[in-house]
Amino acid sequence: MAAADTPSAALRRRDLCSRGIRLARKMRSDVADLLDIYVEQQGLDASISVAAVEGVPVAAADRWDEQTGAQRLLDNLAAYRAFRALLAQMLEELREELGSADAALGQALAAVLLQVSAFAYHLEELLQLESRGPPAEEGSGLPAPPHLSLFEQKLRGLGVLRELAQWAVRSVRDLRQLAKHGSGSGPASGPAES
Amino acid sequence: DSRIQYERVGADVTMKCGSMDWDAAVTWTANGTDIDDSHLNGSYLILKNVDLTRSGQYSCYEGSSWHLKYQTYLKVGVPPKEPVLMCRSNNYPKGFYCSWHLPSPTYIPNSFNISVIHGTREMVCEKDIFPKNRCHIRYLQLFSTVKYKVTLTVTNALGKNSTTLTFDEFAIVKPDPPESVVAKPVPNNPRRLEVAWQNPSSWPDPESFPLKFFLRYRPLILDQWQHVELSDGTSHTITDAYAGKEYIIQVAAKDNDIGTWSDWSVAVHATPWTEEPKHLTTEVQITETTSTSTSSFMPPPTTKICDKGAG
Repeated sequence: MAAADTPSAALRRRDLCSRGIRLARKMRSDVADLLDIYVEQQGLDASISVAAVEGVPVAAADRWDEQTGAQRLLDNLAAYRAFRALLAQMLEELREELGSADAALGQALAAVLLQVSAFAYHLEELLQLESRGPPAEEGSGLPAPPHLSLFEQKLRGLGVLRELAQWAVRSVRDLRQLAKHGSGSGPASGPAES
Repeated sequence: DSRIQYERVGADVTMKCGSMDWDAAVTWTANGTDIDDSHLNGSYLILKNVDLTRSGQYSCYEGSSWHLKYQTYLKVGVPPKEPVLMCRSNNYPKGFYCSWHLPSPTYIPNSFNISVIHGTREMVCEKDIFPKNRCHIRYLQLFSTVKYKVTLTVTNALGKNSTTLTFDEFAIVKPDPPESVVAKPVPNNPRRLEVAWQNPSSWPDPESFPLKFFLRYRPLILDQWQHVELSDGTSHTITDAYAGKEYIIQVAAKDNDIGTWSDWSVAVHATPWTEEPKHLTTEVQITETTSTSTSSFMPPPTTKICDKGAG
C-alpha cells in the first residue's frame, strides 16, 4: 500500500486538510479586508473591472470537479508560490511609492503575505504526505514586473488581490475534496460538463 | 384573413373599409354590434383616444350587399416597461437561474429574450416550461473573477425594453430554506427544546459545499427573537427556553464561504416539557374517611401519586 493510503496517512491528510481549510478561510477574510483598504487607499472604484493580469494565477477552473487530489494540490501550490512573489513585489512597490505614509495598507499586505507563505508551506506538507513531494520552485520567482504607470500598477495590484480572494475560496473547496476523496480523483457535484 | 391590429391606449385609430371608396355606403360593427355613424368619416371608422375596452373584432360590410369587405381584431395595449430581472444560485455549484416579470401588464402578448455573457462566452439559458418566465444556466467554470452579464429584452407590438444585471459568481449564491424542521420538548428538561432540520433538497452536495445555519426562536408571548449561528450539523438543543411557554422556531441556511442567507424556513412551534400536575392524595386522608365508620387504626401517612390512568 502506498504511503499515501495507510490509515495513519489518511488521518494525517484529514488533519492537514482541516487545518488548511481554517488557514484558507482566515486568509480569505483577511484578503477581503485588505481589498477594502487597498481600494480606498489607492483611490480606486471597487466595481472597476480588471482584465486578466499577466503572471497572476487564475482561480477560475473549468471541470473543477474532475480534478484529482494531486492536481488540486499542485495547482494550489503553484498559485500560492506565485502570489508569494506577487505580494512581495506589491509590498516593495508600495514602500517605494508611499514610504511609510501608508502603514495600514503595508501591514495588511505584509500580514496576508505571511499567510500566503504559510499556506504554501502547508500545501508542500500535504504533497509530502502524498509521497509525491512538492515540485522544486522554478527560478527565483516571477519575472521583473513590466514597467507600468502608477495607475496601471494599482490596477494590477487589485487584480492580484481579487484573484487571491477567489483562490482562497477555491482552496477551501479543494481541500474539502481532498479530505473527502484523498489524492485520487473524486466526482464532486460540480458544474455541468460543457 | 384574421388580421390583428395593435394600438396604444390613448391613440386615435382610423380604419378603412378595405378597398371601398371613402364615399361608399358601408356598415361597421364591433363584436357584431353596429357602430353608430358618429364614429364614421365617410366609410372610414374613427376611434378617438382608445382605451382597453375598445379591444375587439371590427367588421365592415358593403352597404347594399352586406358583403364583408374588411375585418380586423383590434388589441389595445401599452409597450412594455423595464422588466424586473433576478438571478440566483440555489444549487451551487451546479448553476443558477434567472427569473423575470413585468412591473405592469401590457394587455398584449410579449416575447422575452435573455442573453448570458461570461467574459467572452455566451451561455445557454435553458427555459423552464413552467414557470415560463424562468431559465437555468449551468456553470461551466467555477471560482471566476469575471462577472456574469445577463440582459433581458422584452418586446411586444408596441415597443421594446430591456434590463441588464452584472454580478459575480459568488454574489448570487443563496440556498433555499432548510427543510423538515422539527422541534420537540426534552423529557424531564423544562427549559430545553430539541430542533432538527434537513439541508434544502435543492442543494446538490452539502458534503463538499457545506451549509451553515442560523436558528431563531422566541416564546409566542414575546416579540424579541433569540438567535444562534451553527457552523455545522443540522440540529440544536435550545437550553434557555422559558418553562411552559410555547415557542416559535425558524432556521435559515448559507453556504459556509460565499453568498447570502436563505429565507427563513417554515415556522414550527413547540413547548418545553413540563412536569405533570401531581394529584396529591395521602394515605392519611384515605384512612380518615374510612376510620370513622370502622376501627381506630391509624397507619402513618404516605403520598401516593395516582396514576391518572387508574382513575
